[in-house]
Amino acid sequence: MGAFFRLQWSGILVGIIAGGIALALSAPAFLSEFNLFVLLRSICVSLLVAYAQMVMLGVGQMNLSVGALGGLVAVVTGGLMDALGVPTLPAIMIGVAAGGAAGFVNGWLTVRTGINGFIVTLATASAFAGINLGITKAVPFYNLPADFVAFGNGRVGLFPLLLIVPLLVTVVLALFFARAVPGRHMLAVGGNAPAAQLSGVSVPRAIISAHVLSGLLAAVAGVLAVAQLGSAQPTIGSDWLLISFAAPIIGGASLAGGAISIVGTLLAVVLIGLIQNAMVLVKVDPYWVQFLLGALILAAVWFNRYRAIKVGEI
Amino acid sequence: MALTVDKASKSFPGVRALKDASLELRSGEVHALMGENGAGKSTLIKIITGVHRPDGGRLLLDGQDVLFASPRDAIRLGISAVHQERNLIPRFSVAENILLENLPRRTGLVDYARANAEAKKYLEMIGLVVDTRTEVRHLSVAQMQMVEIAKALSHEAKVLLLDEPTASLTGEEADALFALVQRLKAQGAAILFVSHKLEEVLAIGEPMANMTRGRLIEAMIGRAERIAVVRPPKAATGAVKLEASGVATAAGHRDISFTVRRGEILGLYGLVGAGRTELARALVGKDKLSGGTLSIDGKPAVIRSVEEALKRHRIGYLSEDRKYEGVVLLHPIRFNVAMTIWDRLARFLGFQTAAGERRATEPFARQLEIRTPSLEQSVGNLSGGNQQKVSLAKWLAAKVDLLIIDEPTVGIDIKTKAYIHELIGKLADDGLAILLISSELPEMVALADRILVMHEFRIVDGFDNDRSYEAMSRKVMGAIHRHSDEAVAVE
Repeated sequence: MGAFFRLQWSGILVGIIAGGIALALSAPAFLSEFNLFVLLRSICVSLLVAYAQMVMLGVGQMNLSVGALGGLVAVVTGGLMDALGVPTLPAIMIGVAAGGAAGFVNGWLTVRTGINGFIVTLATASAFAGINLGITKAVPFYNLPADFVAFGNGRVGLFPLLLIVPLLVTVVLALFFARAVPGRHMLAVGGNAPAAQLSGVSVPRAIISAHVLSGLLAAVAGVLAVAQLGSAQPTIGSDWLLISFAAPIIGGASLAGGAISIVGTLLAVVLIGLIQNAMVLVKVDPYWVQFLLGALILAAVWFNRYRAIKVGEI
Repeated sequence: MALTVDKASKSFPGVRALKDASLELRSGEVHALMGENGAGKSTLIKIITGVHRPDGGRLLLDGQDVLFASPRDAIRLGISAVHQERNLIPRFSVAENILLENLPRRTGLVDYARANAEAKKYLEMIGLVVDTRTEVRHLSVAQMQMVEIAKALSHEAKVLLLDEPTASLTGEEADALFALVQRLKAQGAAILFVSHKLEEVLAIGEPMANMTRGRLIEAMIGRAERIAVVRPPKAATGAVKLEASGVATAAGHRDISFTVRRGEILGLYGLVGAGRTELARALVGKDKLSGGTLSIDGKPAVIRSVEEALKRHRIGYLSEDRKYEGVVLLHPIRFNVAMTIWDRLARFLGFQTAAGERRATEPFARQLEIRTPSLEQSVGNLSGGNQQKVSLAKWLAAKVDLLIIDEPTVGIDIKTKAYIHELIGKLADDGLAILLISSELPEMVALADRILVMHEFRIVDGFDNDRSYEAMSRKVMGAIHRHSDEAVAVE
């Protein structure tokens, strides 16, 4: 038990299991196939959003533009399909590439100007949201290819087709940060940038790479959000900021940089999804959902910090 | 291989860090480099390793001009440095830290099995026994230092620069390091050894002879004079400022009892890790006491916070960690010194003026001879010795009665060190109670009136200091060894 408690994500797993059992007992609808499908589908976008921020925390920076960037990619992809009649796959590829390019802009500005990434992305967030509104005039793109929308809603049993993407991304990211040299370089820069530099690691390259990766992940999240909603809403991404920080940090990432946990982030997203699902099932007044979510996330982070102090991590 | 620095210069905002520095390092030689703090030793190293670009002068490798855009370029040409700052990634393993910029790969992925095997080779080379998979943050300071050297070796360094490599090592560890340096020299490396400690410099390099013999002898004589500045023995007659009885802490202290009087320097000696700093932190309210009682000025007292320690009980703590706990590097001198007395400087509605701060701090800056063009200078631009003076001035300004001084002269040049010793003595003569923490026995013997010996979070013995280094070191080391032997016997 001690060894289990030592794991960064042990508390989250206990929370998920306990919460799941409590929900199953108090709301029978919880275990219905359709509800579980809805729950799983709701975490697809969140997971990618959380990863987009986790990557930045890994390199010791923050990206406040994940939501605006994802939203921009969503309307670009939707617009290509609807207004320009571009086929599904090329449209997605262009959209995701645009996300990577936006991430590169974030990274390049940060490195080139020497301005803190927090400020750079605060500004670009506004710029990306502005482009979004300029393109759409706040009107969504509805006319999307049927196969694309079908993918967003399809399922095999309780398993949403959409979930394939974040699961694949999880595996790739886990490998990237555990074994790939660029991934290790990002964590080295996040952990101690001067040391990494003196060892011959290129700090600017690591920071730009992290921003590009973050942009790509937010872009994929944007595309999935469009598939899931069946339309490219200009408002996509506007509510991503909280979860983008909450999940990696509940999962054990350090705001100081250099320490992230992919399993922890995954479980934290599941936990947050479960909380949101629970609030629907037990019919919490929708106007209070936001408050409860904030309070519960704070409690979860607090607990994890308490655990970290107890096992002598901090 | 020969590396030549020819008249290199470098300036930072407000500070001329290096002027016309010339140096030649040759294969199979160890050069020692000495100099006061702020003399530009670290800057010189950073120029050689491509961290800074010189404003003027040339860098030649085997007679060829070279210009490094980044440390990567220098490493590629076989120039590696062990810098003064800790330069490891805390959450990475020993192996990964050592091989960071050339991790072995297989099909594009890091091959950890091979990395561990390779790192082990370098650890064996320097005689460090740790598991290569351990995260660096779990190592001791000395072990980290060794890992840094292993890392430099992994670069196949032909030119190796060691910047104050022994600053955080015990005598035995330092000896092992010297042996290593000699071995590397025999293998044909060109080595530059930067140190404050004259014994080391004399022990390490015969090329000293053709380098700066004249200046070296001068430094030696100067030091002999200064060592003679020993605080004369004095009976402690002042009132008791602080009395601790049976103090225990969560950090592991048990049954800590002592008194310190005004006008007295009480030394707290112990090896690194004995629990001295942790005790100081508990005494100033940074950590909680878990048992025992304190009495201050003869009255029972509870210290709940650092603020309370300073404002109610007039106790200050001069941290050993200058950069993180001593000074705010980005702020000017006046800001740093006035930090403890802002309440007093506050005028109408709590406002204060820069001029007020300057007026209040100026006397202390002058008293301590902080070398600076102006009080507006950022503390980050000062040398280590001057930073320490700023740190000290802060507590003088606060007019504390008891000052806990933790390792006051680590990484500080000989001249400033002597000055700080003299100052500590003067402060005690003026009626301040001083608790002096130091791992440097000569410093202890020169300054303290009584010496308490701490070992494994307990005070194991105490002696009146008779100012004889040989006698005191025998007593103190005897006490430590006795108790380590006991610990071994119990196990």
